Amino acid sequence: MATFFDEVKEMGVKQATIAKVDDVVERVTAGMNINDVRAMLRGDEPRRPNPRLRPHADSFWLHIRPSFYHTEVTHIYPTFRLGWLSTFMFVWETITGIFLMVFYTPSPEVAYQDMWNIMSGVPLGQLMRDMHRIGAEVMVLVVALHMLRTFVTGSYKKPRQFTWFTGMILLVLTLVLSFSGYLLPWDQLAYWAVTVAVSAAESQPGPEFLGRNINLLLRGAPVIGAGGLLRFYLLHVLLLPLLAGIFIFVHYYKVVIHGHSLPPGREAIGEDTAKRVPKAERVYFLPDIMTSEVMWTALTTLGLIGGSAFFFDAVIESHADPLITPLHVVAPWYLSWSQGWLKWIFPNPFTGGEFDSKVVVAFGIIPILALAFTIMPYVEVGRSRRYADRRVGLSVGMFFIAFMLVSNWMGSPEYKVQSSAEQEVAQHILPQEGHSILLEVPYEELAAGTYLPNQVLPGREHLTHALAEFEVALREYSCTNEGDDRFEPCQPYQSDQGTRFSNSAHTEVLPDPYAALVITQVQHNVYELELVFKTDDPENPVDFHFTKYRHEDAAYEVY
Amino acid sequence: MQVKLVITTIAFMLTMIVFGYAALREPARMELFEGAYESRQVEFGASIYYSNCATCHGQEGKAELCYDAEGEQIGCAGRSLHNAELLCGEPSPRLVAMGWENGTKAGFINATVNAGRAQNGMPLWGADYGGPLEDYEVENVTNFVLNWETVELCSEPTAPAPVWPDDVADLPSGDAANGEQLYQVTYGCAACHGQIDQEGTNAVGPWAGAFKNRADAQPGYTAAEYLYESILLPSAYISPECPTGPCAGPPSAMPNNFPLRMTIQEMSDMMAYLLETSEFESNGNAIVYP
Ligand code: HEC
Ligand code: HEC
Ligand code: HEM
Repeated sequence: MATFFDEVKEMGVKQATIAKVDDVVERVTAGMNINDVRAMLRGDEPRRPNPRLRPHADSFWLHIRPSFYHTEVTHIYPTFRLGWLSTFMFVWETITGIFLMVFYTPSPEVAYQDMWNIMSGVPLGQLMRDMHRIGAEVMVLVVALHMLRTFVTGSYKKPRQFTWFTGMILLVLTLVLSFSGYLLPWDQLAYWAVTVAVSAAESQPGPEFLGRNINLLLRGAPVIGAGGLLRFYLLHVLLLPLLAGIFIFVHYYKVVIHGHSLPPGREAIGEDTAKRVPKAERVYFLPDIMTSEVMWTALTTLGLIGGSAFFFDAVIESHADPLITPLHVVAPWYLSWSQGWLKWIFPNPFTGGEFDSKVVVAFGIIPILALAFTIMPYVEVGRSRRYADRRVGLSVGMFFIAFMLVSNWMGSPEYKVQSSAEQEVAQHILPQEGHSILLEVPYEELAAGTYLPNQVLPGREHLTHALAEFEVALREYSCTNEGDDRFEPCQPYQSDQGTRFSNSAHTEVLPDPYAALVITQVQHNVYELELVFKTDDPENPVDFHFTKYRHEDAAYEVY
Repeated sequence: MQVKLVITTIAFMLTMIVFGYAALREPARMELFEGAYESRQVEFGASIYYSNCATCHGQEGKAELCYDAEGEQIGCAGRSLHNAELLCGEPSPRLVAMGWENGTKAGFINATVNAGRAQNGMPLWGADYGGPLEDYEVENVTNFVLNWETVELCSEPTAPAPVWPDDVADLPSGDAANGEQLYQVTYGCAACHGQIDQEGTNAVGPWAGAFKNRADAQPGYTAAEYLYESILLPSAYISPECPTGPCAGPPSAMPNNFPLRMTIQEMSDMMAYLLETSEFESNGNAIVYP
């Protein structure tokens, strides 16, 4: 073969270079030369035979993509691009996750410090962390919506039952991926959410050794420690992404094999015409689908980066402490429904008592639901995909969504709170973890002294606001008899000890203590913020203190 | 298709602008977060300090005002941690005195808190030594102690440590009324030695009412000399008369930090209260405080 040097001798430098570039482009695109590429970008008709089909045969990346789509499935409806978005989010999480991996060590000694180092010592580190965290939540949402849409358009029906089946595996993997990442910052939020979830395994109804061993397997020790963190880390960065990657390929292979299902109204009942696309209705991957995907990539990237930079801050709470259970241990929102179910009571008709809700939820409801969803396409074999023929199915679906939303709300601490009233009042402005109205008061507004709920302090608007919120919470939890005319109206009493709300009949909820905020300076740049609840009533002695410290540079207003 | 390419280009450019903006504000933001992290460690250290250390080292860290778990005021058993000697300079004078001049203050405090000094009444805290605090907690409480260092503290002229006279006859005359206050509250002796007018009120050490008659405890000592030595050097002689039999030691169960916390006048006042005399009799024994 002639070398480049020979060609230069033959054609001159310019021509030889052009020929060489052309050659390289053709190899890279696996079949399209430079003129073909330019023609494609200009929007010209392809020459015959169509060179834009060759990459689908010869290149690795494109051979998994169909060379054309039915025009009906290229619009927003019916796919809403949700399957594509799920894939995009998976890739997004992989890239941002690798960045974070560089700066993270899965050991309880340093993991927490590493998180802070990512945010304070690594340029753009906080942005990357936010991008990864927002990505994880968006991915869960997107995958759930994708599932919803394939349900609504009846795309799970024959011949796509197995696609749905692999989709179910992907749903579980997505949830577990998200949740396994939850532990890694090694803060209180992470530690306790995971501890609570994993402890459900202990409640399994089978023989005792089973639960103990499942637990041991996950935690690596009787309590989550170095071993447990390492296991969750390896699940999160190795095993689960690997499985998800494999199943995404299987899933997508099935999608390509069967073709994207057409909008239900577009084909005769019981027929599947997705693979028979008339010439006139073809949209070729090159260039149309590809440009569209590039555009969506650019837009989604912009949205996610803009969102992380301006609107979203991944939280970090205080260092994990196995000895201190925070007041409200909450599951992440996408698992909150399960926490809601745990609060239910399941009466046992045989003994008249009740079943352990952990057992019922973790080993009853959840597995049954998962199984029902997985086999649904093999059981629900109605032939028609049309909406009008599927009123029952769609109604059940909508009812299920409403049910999940309500369950999610039940999972929040707002529903059936079990802690004592003064704790709840304190939690409202000075929670043990998370955003606190009081801590976010700018340092300059603080000064030693005793402050009453609802006290107005000119020029110190944030502190005034916090004190107003203090009163709101105090009233809410003190005046539980309001509206009951057997009691006098509930009203505030003030003394130098604080403010109390009372209708002069002590409720069992809160024995109406005097409440006040006491601020003390403990170091030149540190204040102690203490909420004090006291009663003089000897029958109902109350003396509660909730304390936090506030350093001048702690920057709670910002983060 | 052209429209899509234009949108792509614009979106890509906007993304780069967002990145650029984020990169520009990065140095300031990183500094803010660095400060926030350190501050929160100090805050967390404060909560550890006030729930574990303030009973011995005091509300302000000066071993000045201590409360027990019930909120009763007690004598402070610890040393002052909030002083220029420990906190000013690297190495600070205290480090040099402790033979730690090649280390840092943070290292010194961290090591002391971790391992304790059991022989002198400082408990061990580090989990590695069997104590209740994890490494990060010890680190945070260390940061809290270090945060007492201020420009003002380090520019104040340090009060010279009292030079204790070797002979009790050289002590100034004492004021028993003030001595009572010091005995009962400020130094919390009463918690261990009870009330001088009521035998049997002593909980830990020998009964204080007997101090004035203890001239014979050390051969040739006057009562004043013996009392003076017992406060300056508790382990020099271990009393046989604790409430539950002979006292334990050496080292003595009595804190040895009073000479670091008291002034010479306070010593006289307290002795005046315990001995019921404002001048102190001497047999000429030399009591040498190192
Ligand atoms: C039971 C009383 C007690 C408690 C509680 C206590 N300490 Fe101490 N601490 C002492 C005593 C006594 C000394 C002096 C030891 C000596 O003189 O060698 C001391 C010494 C120290 C020193 C060395 C000071 C120096 O200048 O050498 C540090 C630092 C210290 N303590 C920190 C702490 C911290 C932090 C805590 C809480 C986690 C704490 N201590 C709790 C009694 C206590
Ligand atoms: C933590 C408890 C405790 C505190 C606080 C305490 N002591 Fe003691 N003291 C003891 C014990 C135990 C002994 C006996 C061991 C010994 O002789 O050293 C003792 C011994 C003495 C003796 C010798 C008594 C004798 O009969 O031999 C004197 C005098 C004394 N203490 C004075 C004081 C004074 C003054 C204070 C306050 C500044 C004080 N102590 C604070 C525990 C304490
Ligand atoms: C990581 C998670 C997932 C990824 C990456 C993914 C990816 C995709 C892609 C790219 C498509 C084709 C385009 C589209 O319909 O938008 C698709 C189709 C499909 N997916 Fe998923 N999917 C995931 C999860 C799920 C789940 C949870 C289900 C349901 C349980 C599911 C069921 C289906 C079905 C039935 C189709 C065929 C739709 C049709 O032909 O119209 N997928 N998926």
